[in-house]
Order: sequence, then C-alpha cells, then structure tokens
Amino acid sequence: MHHVPAYILLFIALSLVQIFLLNNLVVGSFLCPLIYVAFLILMRLDTMPIVMLACGLAMGTLMDLTMGVAGINTIATLLIAFLRPTLIRLVSPREEWRDDGIPSPERIGTSLFWSYLVVMVLLHHTVFFTLEALSWGHLLRTVARILTSSAATILLVWLTERLFTAKISARA
Amino acid sequence: MRRLVEFIRSIYVVVLFVLLEIAAVSYYARSTAYTEARLLARTNSMVGGLNKLVTDIGNFFLLGRENRALTARIATLEEELARYREADEAGKLKVELRTMGESKYRMTEAAVVSNTVGRAHNYITLNRGGADGITNGMGVITPDGAIAGYVVDYSEHYAVAVSILNPVFRGSGTPEGTAYQGAIRWDGKNPHFVTLEGLSKYAEPAVGQKVFSTGFESYFPAGLLIGTIESATLDQVGTTYTVRVRLAADLSAMNNLVIIENLDHQEINDLQSSEVIKNLEMN
Repeated sequence: MHHVPAYILLFIALSLVQIFLLNNLVVGSFLCPLIYVAFLILMRLDTMPIVMLACGLAMGTLMDLTMGVAGINTIATLLIAFLRPTLIRLVSPREEWRDDGIPSPERIGTSLFWSYLVVMVLLHHTVFFTLEALSWGHLLRTVARILTSSAATILLVWLTERLFTAKISARA
Repeated sequence: MRRLVEFIRSIYVVVLFVLLEIAAVSYYARSTAYTEARLLARTNSMVGGLNKLVTDIGNFFLLGRENRALTARIATLEEELARYREADEAGKLKVELRTMGESKYRMTEAAVVSNTVGRAHNYITLNRGGADGITNGMGVITPDGAIAGYVVDYSEHYAVAVSILNPVFRGSGTPEGTAYQGAIRWDGKNPHFVTLEGLSKYAEPAVGQKVFSTGFESYFPAGLLIGTIESATLDQVGTTYTVRVRLAADLSAMNNLVIIENLDHQEINDLQSSEVIKNLEMN
C-alpha cells in the first residue's frame, strides 16, 4: 500500500490545479481542459474495479460541487472508471504487467499507452461536453469542443504522467 | 470456485456502477440552472476563501487595488448620475414621483471571484453576499455601465449571478431612439454576441445602432448599454427582426463589477404577483 500517499497527493494536486487554475482560465469556449481525469488514467494497472469506481465517484463529485454543473462530471468519470479495467486488459494483457505499476509508455509501449490515453480522455470529454450542451442543435460545435479540449487535456495528462512517474522513480 | 468468485465480483461492480450512474443521471436530469447556481453559492463558502486568495494574487499583478478604488469611485458617480437622470426625467414629466436627491438605485462595487464564458451555462461569482446587503434579483454591470448579469443566489459573503452568457438570462433591450423592444437571449455560441429577438419590423434596426436596457425586468435601470447591432434579419413572415448584438461588456476580461440594487424591486414584484393580478389571470 506504499503507493497510496502518492495518489492522495496526486488527487489533491490535480483538484487544486483544476479548481483554481483551469476553471478560471478563460481561453474561449473551445478550450476547457479537464486535467483531473489524469487521476483515473494514472491509477495503477492492477487497481481493483471497485476502487476505480470509488475514485471516479470521489473525483467526479468534487468537480461537480466546485464547477456547479450538477452531476455531469460524476457521470463521465464513473463511466471511464468502470470501463478502465477492460481497456487496460486490451492494451496490456495481465502476463505483460511488470510490477503492476503506473501506466506509462515505458511500461505498456508508446503506441498502446497513447491509444489508451486518447480513448480514456475522448470517452470522458464526449460524455461531459454532450451533456453540458444539452442539445443536438450545436452538434458540430460540440464535436469541435470535444476535440480541442481533449487535445489540451491529453497533453496535460501526459505532462502529469511524466512528472508523477519521475517523482515515484526518484523516491524508489 | 475461483471463477464463481470472479463472476460475482465483476457483477457486483457492474451493479454498483449502474446504480451510481442512475443516481448521477437522475440528479443531472432534475437540475436546473438555478439549482446549479445554488450549488455554486454553497460550495463557494467552502472553496471561496482559497479562490479569493488565488484571485487576489492575480489581481495584485493586474494592479487590482487601484482598479477596485476606481470602481468604487465609479459606483458612487454612477449612483449620483442615476439620481440626476431621474430628477431630470421627473422634471420633464412634471410628475412628482419621488423627493429629489433620492435615487431608487444603490450601487455596490464587487470583485469577481470566478467567472466562466466557455460553458453552456455561465455564472459570475462575486465577493459580496448577504452580509453586504446583496439579495436575489440585483443587477450586475461593468464599471463602465454595460450589463453583465443578475444575482440569483448568495451566501453570507458571496453572490452568484447568471451571466448574460446563460440561456436562462432574462432581459430585454431596445435600439437607441426607438420605443420598440425585444428579448435578449444568448445562443450558447460566441461569448461576444447575444441576440435581440422579437423586435418589431417597424423598429428598422441599423448596423452600429446602440442597444440599451429597457428597465422592464427591474434588475437594471433603463438606459444601460447592452451592445451595438452587428446584423439584423427579418423573419420569414416578415413581422419581427432577429438582431445580432455585439456585447459592450467583455465578459472574458472582468475583474471588478458593480452590483445594482433596485430599492423598488420587491415592491414591483409583490405588485406583479398580487392577488388581484392572479385573479385576473385565472379568469
């Protein structure tokens, strides 16, 4: 359980950045990065599904409360938390797990890691922005928002992953 | 046996997932823009302090102190101006509505704690609340007198206003020099534009013409700037114009705002929802 404190720190750090920096950042409606999904993406490969759900619920609820968007974050984070174990099995069969650690390009391979990252973020952002738009009227616009915001989030999650794994390996 | 345990465990997670999602979706489905504002106002009493700290640091670099002093000054001037305007109007109408020197509007300056323009429903959180005499239905304008939103909920030290960039914002506007008015709506697309709907064909809106508030909603005094006309299209039947208005307020760059209290707001509301009116509607 030695990795739990590191994840608690990650949870706090990501929440602070999301609430106080990204939520206040105004760069037009097409760029709303949601860095907090990094918490779910960077959970250890062997995380139990039930723990994933609990983490998704905790992060989603916190984000709903601070953004004031009644349930949208929770719906989206629960979905990716639920689908993650299946996705992990697809990109990295159990036999290949080395010391069951944090998903990283080194551990599961560059192309697999990136597809895992892109699928997770796209799933989350699709649910989030579709529910936020609340209508199919602005379909094209919503799709554009999903794509641009996802690109920004993916970049931020990748940076978080670099920082997080660097810290862990330095400590070990 | 191991398989059975695995099966039960996976089913258990699926069931839990479905239950949680149902709970979240039903909460989402029952939510309205007003419950969202309420949620924000409540959470602000928790994260508001930290949020304020972050804003303060930001404001320090933007010379927030000077800005605030200036806004306070403008607020007092604005109040004085409103008093003169009213006195002027009262004089013109030759009706003694109110003793001179007493305006029905009070202005309070407030700093923006958080503000969004990129979401589907946008809100402005301000650092004034019930303790400063803020109540629901007060108008929020920029220091130079352009409409930004109105307060829908407040806690002790914070208030949440629906931004003009929110589909639930209710307002009306009138092109300069005409008596015709239309409803102000945001289409959820561009944070620099709103539409003025249902404007009579006789209004003949011209590009570049200014659009002012009507004062009908009692959130704002009449004659506050909303924006300038960018384009106007006549509907298919040819009876009303839908006008695209470029907002005077840059909602994405606001540090300080002015909250307007209409001292008659309660009175007007009470009168509009009085028994007599209700009985009329019933018949």
